[in-house]
Amino acid sequence: MSQSVSFGKNLSQWIFTTDHKRVGILYLIGSLAAFAVAGLMAVLIRVELSSIGPTITNPQTYNVWLYFHGAAMILGFQIPALTGFLANYLVPLMIGAKDVAFPRVNALSLWLFWMGIIVALLTFVVPNPPDFMWTAYPPYSIMSGGNTSFYTFTVLIMGFSSIVGGINLIATIIYMRAPGVTWAKLNIFVWATMCAFILQLIFVPVLGSAVTLLTLDKYLGTHFFDPAMGGDVLLYENLFWFYSHPAVYVILLPMMGIIYEIVATFAKNRIFNKKVVVFGGFIGTTVLSGEVWVHHLFTSGMPNWIRLGMMVSTLLISVPVGLMMIGLVGTLYRGAIQYKTPMLYACGFIFLFLVGGLTGIPHAMAALTLALHDTHFVVAHFHYVIAVSGTFAVFGGVYYLFPKMTGKMYNEALAKLAFFVLFIGVNVTFFTMFIVGLKGMPRRYFDYSHMPQLEHLHKIQTYGAFVIGLGALLILITWLHGAFYGKKAPTNPWGSRSLEWTHTESPPGPGNFGGKPLDLPEDWDPYGYGVNPD
Amino acid sequence: MSEHSHELEWETSPWPLIVCVGILLFAPLAFSFHFVYEKPAATLVSLALGGVLILISVIGWVKDGLEDKHGWGAGLSFPAMPFFILAEAFIFVALFAAYWMIRLKAPHWPPAGTPHISMVTPVIMTVILVSSSVTIHLAEMRHEAGNHTGFLGWLWVTIILGAVFFFLTMKEWSHLIGEGFNTTTNAYSTVFYSITGLHASHVFIGVALFVCILIPAHMRKTNSTFIRTASLYWHFVDIVWFFVVSQVYFWL
Repeated sequence: MSQSVSFGKNLSQWIFTTDHKRVGILYLIGSLAAFAVAGLMAVLIRVELSSIGPTITNPQTYNVWLYFHGAAMILGFQIPALTGFLANYLVPLMIGAKDVAFPRVNALSLWLFWMGIIVALLTFVVPNPPDFMWTAYPPYSIMSGGNTSFYTFTVLIMGFSSIVGGINLIATIIYMRAPGVTWAKLNIFVWATMCAFILQLIFVPVLGSAVTLLTLDKYLGTHFFDPAMGGDVLLYENLFWFYSHPAVYVILLPMMGIIYEIVATFAKNRIFNKKVVVFGGFIGTTVLSGEVWVHHLFTSGMPNWIRLGMMVSTLLISVPVGLMMIGLVGTLYRGAIQYKTPMLYACGFIFLFLVGGLTGIPHAMAALTLALHDTHFVVAHFHYVIAVSGTFAVFGGVYYLFPKMTGKMYNEALAKLAFFVLFIGVNVTFFTMFIVGLKGMPRRYFDYSHMPQLEHLHKIQTYGAFVIGLGALLILITWLHGAFYGKKAPTNPWGSRSLEWTHTESPPGPGNFGGKPLDLPEDWDPYGYGVNPD
Repeated sequence: MSEHSHELEWETSPWPLIVCVGILLFAPLAFSFHFVYEKPAATLVSLALGGVLILISVIGWVKDGLEDKHGWGAGLSFPAMPFFILAEAFIFVALFAAYWMIRLKAPHWPPAGTPHISMVTPVIMTVILVSSSVTIHLAEMRHEAGNHTGFLGWLWVTIILGAVFFFLTMKEWSHLIGEGFNTTTNAYSTVFYSITGLHASHVFIGVALFVCILIPAHMRKTNSTFIRTASLYWHFVDIVWFFVVSQVYFWL
């Protein structure tokens, strides 16, 4: 009797959980599922492009793949994995709280996210799936036979999930810090996610409105985006990018935050220039993020003074981002570096993010963008700077938290092998994509029979995509192997000074700190590794 | 012993998962069944099932909230509400931005096909909504003072005022639709129905929140944080109405 009863109790304790750690882990499972399906789409897209002409599919299905890959990677994987999984798991532990401010609302945002994933996955079973890009530009998204409302509801449900989740964690950070965890001593990851959540509160509603108007136009006959009736197509593009550009900072800030935590722990060093990174880097990015969106529309009609202004504000973003990079490298400087797997991901991140960031500068220039717009060069740029960097941050974060989450250690050798396979794969694919893009390959094309000279470069990218797939598979094997057969983990295997390692069990029980109030010494510092502060 | 170990149990609540399944059925699936795949039976089933699930979980959630088992984060809803209002405000900002972008490039306004829109109804609606903001504040003050009967009375008045406001919006809509002015008519009808509709949906949510306070209050169960938070939300709905009424009705 007892086994099935305890299994049932265990299951209900998981699916009805309001505990932030379990909510975080369920977020991780959902976002990895989205990553797996969207990654499969990416491989299929690469196979289709590996040779001239139709290779394995028709243009209609190819569009559905592109739609799913973009929408699920951004809305289903990156944002939930970084702001859902990492922030939910880490923030209450780092600030010494028993849980988040509203545990049931936290579970609500988790299950809303899962419903969003379900609506997105229905793409593959319903008739007339959405066949536009994740941007869903009208007029095509309104004229297309695809089910635009599924796109709208995916965005609305996931958006509502981010908003309530964001409010929850902001309230947690402001009001639930343990005595002694002051703003000045707050972990840098907490600062980064706080800024990301503020961005979500301001910008997600605008995207929600934009996609709602799309559905109103298509199914209720309004005329927001219909120029013949006084509407404006550019209205959608402006509303969409008003959210979707800051969305990259919603992804960027937590990924910087977790990379900082990893680098500080494995270099056993204080955070270099922490105040400058927080106030100049994180808050600077937050302030600037809402003033740059028009660079996505440089090729649309607009007066030159807007182009000039938006070019300057876009270039200005490189200042706070540069401060973050200097902080990372400064933290490595004279540190006692251990190259454990999370640290390898952090170093990989620094390289990939630099390549992506530097290739972003040409896009900020209005004149150069006219040539580069909608080529594979842009695709390669944002894959380096957000997609692959963000994935490295998430994977690095999972390895970093693995002993804490599961109470087991993963196999270090296997994890390192998987890292190098993945790292080689992404560089083969996306560096070649830069070259193809510079040679003029347009993005989103199903076929490129007008430029047959690019076929061998496309083939290289497809081989790279298979290497990425192999790497992802190896990572999954590492995690499953570690979770089931790993050695028991000590409470603080990395020797970190941060609360989530020093004051909790592995894995932490209900209430995180054993139900006792935290008593932190006066000189407690999450980065106090005995190095003099600068 | 039981006290201590009880405190360290894993906390659970079934309502978040159930309400999400309800939302899945009620919004995306019902909408798609009706507008995209045109299956009336499936639409009705998912609306009914989703509605029931949402209702059950709201009841359960409110009940748990009033019992306040863990008491964690008690009182935090009130300071968290301004963040929610910030997000809500940006929904309206986006719609007003859409309105202004359409409006400012229109050759003449209102565009052809717009019937005469009476300015009397919006004035009455403004008076009603502003008074309801005052009455909910009075209710809140009575509750703080421990005057339960006075609190219930003013809460009832607020709910009635909110419901009358919602009813007037619907009445005006049906009147205008009767005159042939519907969502598809022109650019003005587009913004008119979406902005007033968005605001009316907020009024509906606000009244629903008050009903969630009212029913347990008749059983003498109240939570002062919940009352203050709902009242703050209602003031926001009131303030937004000034933007709606000045931009959509009176700037013609």
